[in-house]
Amino acid sequence: MSFMHPLLLLASLGVALPIIAHLINRHRVEHTDWAAMQFLNRSVRVRSRQLRLRDILLLILRCLAILCLAFAIARPFTDKTDGSWLPGENRAGVVIAVDASYSMAHGNGGASRFDRAMEQVGVISDHIQPGDPVSLVLLGSEHRVILRNVAFNQQSFAEAMKPLTATPESLDIDSVPKQLQGLVEDMDALQKEIFILTDAQAQNWEKISTQLRDSLKGLGEQASVFMVPVTGGDENLAVTGLDLVSGELLRGSVARYRATIKNYGSNPTSSVDVKCRIDGVQIDRKTIPVIAPSASETVSLFVPFYNAGSKRITAEIEGDSLSTDNVRRVVAVVRDKVSVLCLDGSSGDAGRLIRAALMARADGSEDENYVVRTVRWPSFPSREMDQADVVILTDVPEITKEQAEQLKRLVRRGSGLVWFAGDQIKIDTWNKLSGSGPDSLLPAVLGLPIDTSDSLGVGKPLDPSMPDHAVCLPLQSLPEDLLSETRLLKRLAVEPANSSFSLLNLAGSHSPVLLEHSLGRGHVFMFTTSAQASWNNMALTPVFPMLLQQIVTYLAGREFEQPRIVGDPLSLTYVDQPDATDAVFDTPSDQTITVPVREHRSQYAALLEKSREAGFYIARVSVQAPGLPIAVNVDTRESDVTCLSEAELEESLNGTGITVSGTEADLASNIEAARTGKSSWRYFIILGLGFLIVESLLADRILRRSRSTPAKAGPTSQPVEVA
Amino acid sequence: MSQHLPNIHYLDPEVLQRLDDLELVAREAVEGLRSGNHRSPLRGFSTEFAHHRQYAPGDAIRDLDWRLYGRTDRYYTKLYEAETNFDCCLLVDSSRSMTYASDQLSKLEYAKFLAASLAYMVLKQRDSIGLSVFDSKVRAYFPPRSSMNILLELDRLLRSTDPKPKTNIAQQLDETTLLLNRRSVVILISDLFADPDDVLRGLRHLRFAGHNVVVFHTLDPYEISFPFKGAWHFEGLEEEEPLITQPERIRQDYLDSFNNYLETIRSGCVGSGIDYSIVDTSRPLDAVLGEFINERKAAFFGASTGTRS
Repeated sequence: MSFMHPLLLLASLGVALPIIAHLINRHRVEHTDWAAMQFLNRSVRVRSRQLRLRDILLLILRCLAILCLAFAIARPFTDKTDGSWLPGENRAGVVIAVDASYSMAHGNGGASRFDRAMEQVGVISDHIQPGDPVSLVLLGSEHRVILRNVAFNQQSFAEAMKPLTATPESLDIDSVPKQLQGLVEDMDALQKEIFILTDAQAQNWEKISTQLRDSLKGLGEQASVFMVPVTGGDENLAVTGLDLVSGELLRGSVARYRATIKNYGSNPTSSVDVKCRIDGVQIDRKTIPVIAPSASETVSLFVPFYNAGSKRITAEIEGDSLSTDNVRRVVAVVRDKVSVLCLDGSSGDAGRLIRAALMARADGSEDENYVVRTVRWPSFPSREMDQADVVILTDVPEITKEQAEQLKRLVRRGSGLVWFAGDQIKIDTWNKLSGSGPDSLLPAVLGLPIDTSDSLGVGKPLDPSMPDHAVCLPLQSLPEDLLSETRLLKRLAVEPANSSFSLLNLAGSHSPVLLEHSLGRGHVFMFTTSAQASWNNMALTPVFPMLLQQIVTYLAGREFEQPRIVGDPLSLTYVDQPDATDAVFDTPSDQTITVPVREHRSQYAALLEKSREAGFYIARVSVQAPGLPIAVNVDTRESDVTCLSEAELEESLNGTGITVSGTEADLASNIEAARTGKSSWRYFIILGLGFLIVESLLADRILRRSRSTPAKAGPTSQPVEVA
Repeated sequence: MSQHLPNIHYLDPEVLQRLDDLELVAREAVEGLRSGNHRSPLRGFSTEFAHHRQYAPGDAIRDLDWRLYGRTDRYYTKLYEAETNFDCCLLVDSSRSMTYASDQLSKLEYAKFLAASLAYMVLKQRDSIGLSVFDSKVRAYFPPRSSMNILLELDRLLRSTDPKPKTNIAQQLDETTLLLNRRSVVILISDLFADPDDVLRGLRHLRFAGHNVVVFHTLDPYEISFPFKGAWHFEGLEEEEPLITQPERIRQDYLDSFNNYLETIRSGCVGSGIDYSIVDTSRPLDAVLGEFINERKAAFFGASTGTRS
């Protein structure tokens, strides 16, 4: 027999109390002469031996009661394999972890994996004794504990399970052991069991990391761990991307979006319809003839913008076994007009080249809503600058401190800034005015010009270091030779700030050519090379207009155009101190969440820590303010619903001590086999209370009998035996 | 006066000093040989006028009431109440039951102090005192006398008393009744642990013989409250069967039974005109006596005033 809380056995020292009390109060028969013998009730006679026996019996009962209660609180248990004679119950503390990632919503026409997992939870709950500690947790990117260490009650447990559904989150498998360990440690039980009900996605469970394996092994040392797979087919199509490829977000213009559809199944899928909607209205539809297994296909969706404002754009497919990942959402903030102000300080024609690149159209026409104005340095039109969506500084030798502050304020408010190097740049002045750290105007500290030409006098080509960035996306559609034609002969050495990242590098090196960092609600792009042909031939290739137009589109956009993933935080930043103390977020399911506005480094922001639903959230600076839609998509890493078979799962988990139970019968028999511990504390409690009751009855018996005895004793009355 | 007494064991000078102002009076008329403080049933010549009687030849001429003759022309003789001394007989129970003492002083010792103090009071007021010490039979007796020297004899007698196991109160009371040929004050000092009917019968016998009877029911405080706890072996003092018991369990029965017994004795005494007083041996003797005598005096003078008026 072992004890869960052996230290509590010290309570058995309490047995000394009745012994001491007995020694102090034990009945010594005292002797006295007595005159008034005629008034003594002779029906109650005791003998000293009887008294001793009675006292010893009471003492034994009290000691046994204390010992039993001390044993009970020390929670004794035995292993039934030891053949112990001690009676006991097979009790266990149970942690049930259900994978609630959206792959569990997958169903081939019948019940979803999550529904089948819930059925298995029912089987597990049938083996839990009322009163046993139970925890129930839903696993996802953030695990949600539904029940924490509560006494099991079948009805309330069923009530707690009823509203549970799969979430649009992906499964963060690495944090699962830690979460379960915490729940197990909270649990005070003789035997602990963990049931993990999951669809055993191959991407999660096939090649588990060494760290995860060790964590699972450690979990197995604390509890009996059962893996209950609820598997299904692998057919699934998902819209994995919806990106703005080209075009301006201007009223009256048409933008091209690219939707990516991936077939995660093992069979080809044909005739996949992709619908594009804007604010719920279908505006385009494309059909992909066939998507090969594990292949992705893209379609271009053309989105016309008839009005200015925030537009909710979706790309959707239908007829899939898993609907959660069938929609991809983006937000476009359509403007009435885009205004670009170019401040040219070069001695050459950098300003003209930039204007030409920005105004280049396939049909050669000019767009009245797209205004590009070039101003020669040193004039600095402050008023026009405030109204510009994007400001381009090319080869501007220096600016004043006030001008630098104005530019910072402009960017923080949401406008964009593009900075080109050049021969006229006064490096020290710029470094001094730009500042350092996250509040600096430029994303890097400037250094000296570096010659990047090789021995043949040919510069190095460009290499997109972030090809999926919106600015670099159009470059992917360029033929390789066209991109490699762009050669850079000279650039500025720079020391990028921590908050910046490089979009374009020199090929074969990590020397940045195009850097980006955010400042407030706006962004700053910095070319370490010049817009003039003396530093590169970029202006002579298609790369330059594509890059510049994409940068302007990107900068003219708004922060909410960037889609988020479920689980990401949603933030609403303010240019100035807001009047309202709280911001409001409306969820896709029409719930309203109020978030306080906090100040950080003179910037005001309201942060919703977790987005828990897929769809369009609406952010408002106050309850009455107009809403800004934010697109929240699912993480498509979860879309690969291919499951491991029971044998594959067992092989993958080999050495972790986890038992895989594929069927209900297996699960039931494994539970029975694992529960070897017998808990006896209830028996000791009952026994201890029984001893106390007997002792009380015995102690009370004499008193009751004496009360019921007639007052006067006859000469023939007999002595009463006292137990 | 007490400080001039010889060294008598059972007389405590301090107690006597407190008793100096007290006077034991006979509750009713007693017959005495000398003139004293107590009413006598015999008519005599004294200062206390009783009533008139028509003159008869042989009456003393000096007793004629001339004033009444002047008013009525008839001869009347004035009769006066005689005042006499009384004989007091102390009956002290010296059975073994009287030897019980929860503290240092047994009931018997207390009774001896009580008897000596009463004797002193009686002698101090020039009355006669006699003593009878008994258990199953009379162990010592001397007739009533009024000399102070009797105190020494009484003290010696009380000292030499050797308790005997058995007592027979009723029989002793009967015998005492036969011994007393004058109406006297009889003071019984006993725990009365006998059949209450027998005790009352003996007391009534005394009473019907015309004696003033006073009962000092002497009890130990433990006998009154029975405060024993734990297991006790009770050894009977008068050869009763011993008993081992738990007093807590029988305490209520004991108290019920004991109080019934006390009530029987008390009501029997009161009904027969016997002065009854429970003497708790834990109380100071002077307080017990003072309380008794004051109550008695108050009762006595209240009744006599009505009679005389």
